[in-house]
Amino acid sequence: MTREEVLKNLKNRFKDDIIEVFDKSSNRVYIDIKPGSLVSVATYVFNDLEARFNIATGVDVRYHMEILYHFTFEDLNLLISFRVKLPKDKLEIESLTSVFEGADWIEREMHELLGIDFKGHPDLRRLLLSEEWPEGVYPLRCDYKEWDEKAIRDRGV
Amino acid sequence: MSFKLKALLRSPWVFHLSTGSCNNCDIEVLDCLTPRFDIERFGMLLAGSIKHADVLLVTGSCNRKSVERMKRLYEQAPRPCLVVAIGECALSRGMFMHSYNCPVPLDKIIPVDVYIPGCPPKPEAIIAGVVKLIEKVKSKK
Repeated sequence: MTREEVLKNLKNRFKDDIIEVFDKSSNRVYIDIKPGSLVSVATYVFNDLEARFNIATGVDVRYHMEILYHFTFEDLNLLISFRVKLPKDKLEIESLTSVFEGADWIEREMHELLGIDFKGHPDLRRLLLSEEWPEGVYPLRCDYKEWDEKAIRDRGV
Repeated sequence: MSFKLKALLRSPWVFHLSTGSCNNCDIEVLDCLTPRFDIERFGMLLAGSIKHADVLLVTGSCNRKSVERMKRLYEQAPRPCLVVAIGECALSRGMFMHSYNCPVPLDKIIPVDVYIPGCPPKPEAIIAGVVKLIEKVKSKK
């Protein structure tokens, strides 16, 4: 399958789920999709198109929260990023761990650093933060405030 | 100078601890052990366990999780134990000063004997720093 066939395939199959296709360069394509149709798109791309799930990225862009799911097609030299926009007041999305195991840890990481709730994830424990970190404080959000009174934020000179 | 400290200075065994560094300082520490710089001519040897070591060598910016491990290692070290901070991160946390995960610099947690600045410090700087440490301990009496 060529690059054009992959994109045409996706556009035809997920006509109602795709909001926008941004063809950035010969090896990079961004596709905005609706949050509700993430699982069906990921299942199709992973199982039928046999792409590799690279990683997911969570970004707080002030007005909404973004998650990018990066899939690589190695024989085509193509990276497709599926972008999902979540409203700030309802930060939840379907988990992808049922489709591929590799989404497990990155979803745990996004859960603790950004506070996104992944529905259907088997084990949303803490991954990176220490035990003393308070519940409900998410360090990678835009509105993060220093909570530790013992922290020293000058160089002492 | 105590007998123990005098014996230690002949051949200080070093335990290398990285508290979340980018590994560049660790590479420079490794360079010191290669034949080109050959820090072993001062009797320095990398020890595999803190219980065999006299010097605790710290690189990295001391994040919340590794601080607990570092305190535990410092408690286990046989006394007298000297602490060497290598690199800008271990000295003042460098660019991670405002990071949510690096609240306190190293020298506010455990006493530090020698600071070796640089990002990363050259092997020459590390050797000079260690030689200064030996001089400092010797002159203390």
